[in-house]
Amino acid sequence: MKLQELRETLRDFWGEFRKVKYGMVGLVMFFLFLLVVIFEPVLIPFPETGQRWRDITYWEDNPKNAAPVWVNWFKRKDYTPQAVLDKPDFNERKAANTQVAEAVFTYDYKYDLPPIDLLLRATGKGLLNLAVHLERPDGLSIELTKKSFRLSGEAPVRLSLDKEAVGAVGDFLKTYEDPDVLRGVSLFTVKPVEVFFARAAPGILRNPAPLKGEYRIKLTCVAVGSGAFLKEPALTVAGRVFGLMGTDGSKRDIWSGVIVGTKWALLIGLLTSAVAVIIGVFYGVTSAYFGGAVDLVLMRIYEVFQSIPLLPVMIVVSAVFKPSIWMMILMMCAFFWVGSVRTVRSMGLQIKEETYVEAAHALGASQGRIIFKHMLPQVIPYAFASMALQVPVSIVYEASVSLLGLGDATIVTWGQILHDAMQGGAVLQGIWWWIIPPGLFIALMGMTFAFIGFAMDTILNPKLRTR
Amino acid sequence: MYWKYVIRRIVSVVFTYIVIIFIYSALFNTVMEKTIRAQIDEQVKQEMLVQTHVMSVADLKRYQEERLAFHYKRYHLDEPFLARIFWRAVSTLKFDFGNSTIIRSAAGERKVLTIVGEKIPRTILLFTLATAIDIIIGVLLGMKKAQRPGKFLDQSTSIMTMVVYGMPTWWVAMIMIMLFVYKIALFPSGGLHSVPPPQGFAYLLDLLYHLALPLLTLVLIGFWGRAYLTRNIVLSTLQEDYIMAARARGLSERQVLYGHTLRSAAPPIATMSLLSLLFSVGGGLIFEGIFSWPGMGNLYWVAIQQNDIPVLMGNLAVTTLFYLSGLVLLDLIYGVLDPRIKVGGKG
Repeated sequence: MKLQELRETLRDFWGEFRKVKYGMVGLVMFFLFLLVVIFEPVLIPFPETGQRWRDITYWEDNPKNAAPVWVNWFKRKDYTPQAVLDKPDFNERKAANTQVAEAVFTYDYKYDLPPIDLLLRATGKGLLNLAVHLERPDGLSIELTKKSFRLSGEAPVRLSLDKEAVGAVGDFLKTYEDPDVLRGVSLFTVKPVEVFFARAAPGILRNPAPLKGEYRIKLTCVAVGSGAFLKEPALTVAGRVFGLMGTDGSKRDIWSGVIVGTKWALLIGLLTSAVAVIIGVFYGVTSAYFGGAVDLVLMRIYEVFQSIPLLPVMIVVSAVFKPSIWMMILMMCAFFWVGSVRTVRSMGLQIKEETYVEAAHALGASQGRIIFKHMLPQVIPYAFASMALQVPVSIVYEASVSLLGLGDATIVTWGQILHDAMQGGAVLQGIWWWIIPPGLFIALMGMTFAFIGFAMDTILNPKLRTR
Repeated sequence: MYWKYVIRRIVSVVFTYIVIIFIYSALFNTVMEKTIRAQIDEQVKQEMLVQTHVMSVADLKRYQEERLAFHYKRYHLDEPFLARIFWRAVSTLKFDFGNSTIIRSAAGERKVLTIVGEKIPRTILLFTLATAIDIIIGVLLGMKKAQRPGKFLDQSTSIMTMVVYGMPTWWVAMIMIMLFVYKIALFPSGGLHSVPPPQGFAYLLDLLYHLALPLLTLVLIGFWGRAYLTRNIVLSTLQEDYIMAARARGLSERQVLYGHTLRSAAPPIATMSLLSLLFSVGGGLIFEGIFSWPGMGNLYWVAIQQNDIPVLMGNLAVTTLFYLSGLVLLDLIYGVLDPRIKVGGKG
């Protein structure tokens, strides 16, 4: 069989494959997954997800366990989504050793349930005296807080108004809430930001009505000292709903995690199955071709490998040695090759008896030539099919090991997200957006390769074709 | 003839088991020894505490060294590396898995064999029951599919098979628990029985109540693949000449299907079913943990969380033994169902 014949075989195979509808669906889904991997930087709102997944400071501005934004479509009351306002009206005046900066953020509040927090971020240097004012749509103006920072070099400034405005909220409540209600309430249990986004009337604490409209948050900064300044102020409205898939218990964006996990799943699946099937095919063909003692020994080794329950072994090995993802892939390869050996061997035994192999022998072809040129190409379609069917198995195995908390901690995989969900009590608390997306992606990826593999299988087994 | 086959198969599997245990020993000997050394140190310290008042400091030191040497000798820890691996394998083969570090059995014992032993029947209960239901539904559905291949029922269920192919059962379990335990309180959240367990007949009902959701989840995901396999096997049998002959004789489609086809399709169907039972026990490791079903799979979770190495090793050895026995059983059943196997040597 020449190279051109191989090409023809593959072309015929493709011609058959194109007719299987679900096979094509699988192929389209596969390309979609590839696109996700290629356009990963565009798709994720947090560009450093892959590197800083376990770095809590990277995620600290996000709300905890927040549902996806689109749950608002199904709820009677709208939850405030996360918003970042980084383009305020910024004015600064400079005098001899001081800089006076003023930033006004305009926030259009049109939801029913208020944000959890307002977070101010900026970069500054020197002695900074900050004051934050809030102007409400009903004309009330409140001084939320005053705070000073002394920064020796250029450093970030972060201000959580939920923590800082406790004093201001006390005065505000005294003016508007019924004193009888206030007497039984400790100010430390009051959420200031929630109060400031409610209608100023009795009941503001117990059953607040949302005050919708345009809020203006004014940040004033007097920076004292030579070279003191404040720049790039930004305001984060920490919402109750967040992004496409919400956040987890460590405030991480699940959508970003799932998207970043895609490339790892593809890598684990494709690499493992490709290597494993290639080994298996060579093993089977070699065993079939040589026969006799070689076959006997190879089959004995095969039986030992086949008799090892891989998942428990993998779990124990991972628990003991804490392997990296590459070691895990290697381990899976070392066991998954057995999957294709038996079929390939029996195919090899048949091909060996074909007349053209005999002819090649008679012409003095070397053993390598016969194996590579005459036997291997015949089993290539089968190899592709078993590769495709092996991909989901590899992915599920890695996910299972990761679910136990034994995954490689330097990367993000879907199994690890599910492990965190188990640990974080997502099942108990019904945080479905933490459980469904990663598992669904595993299932979708599995489906993709199942479609492709089953389609190939149907073509390879003509007996199964429906009449 | 059949007995010869049985014996050959068993001898071969015992050999395989020994080889596997040696591989395990080579892999895990170091970490196992570390645990045993720590256990010995602990034990000797306890012994010394008793002797503190009787002995002088120098005596005490000598006594400690003596005791340590005694225990090291007992566990072959003073021998060269390869010999230690050998002894590790031998003690594993004798089911001597040592004592656990933290985990205890229901009676409070620390022998790993007892701890693992009491989990075995629970795992078997859950998975054999699930597989039995799976097989019934799967084979019946598979036959129906094969009867009218390419029609709506066949196609839609085939698509479902592919949809659930890469779906982790434990993920479905998480969703089921979230839905049917915490959202709608239909089932208990996990465990084997209520605490405290009821007595008599009520215990059985309670057990079934706790079994229901894990069982349902396993069956829900399991039978699709079996149905597809059955369909393929039956379909390829249906194209044999003798089926055509049976049809030509005017036998009803029912008779052809259940009388002629099933007879020759049974062995591969049985193989596939049992094989998937074995694999499902492997996947069930994770599954049990989700439902806190206190079987062997759950023991892996607990042992990993507590970092209890002896339990982990013992559990692995027992799991492997089970797996291998399953494979042998499979071959033996196959031999009964398909007489060709036991007569002709090569499978």
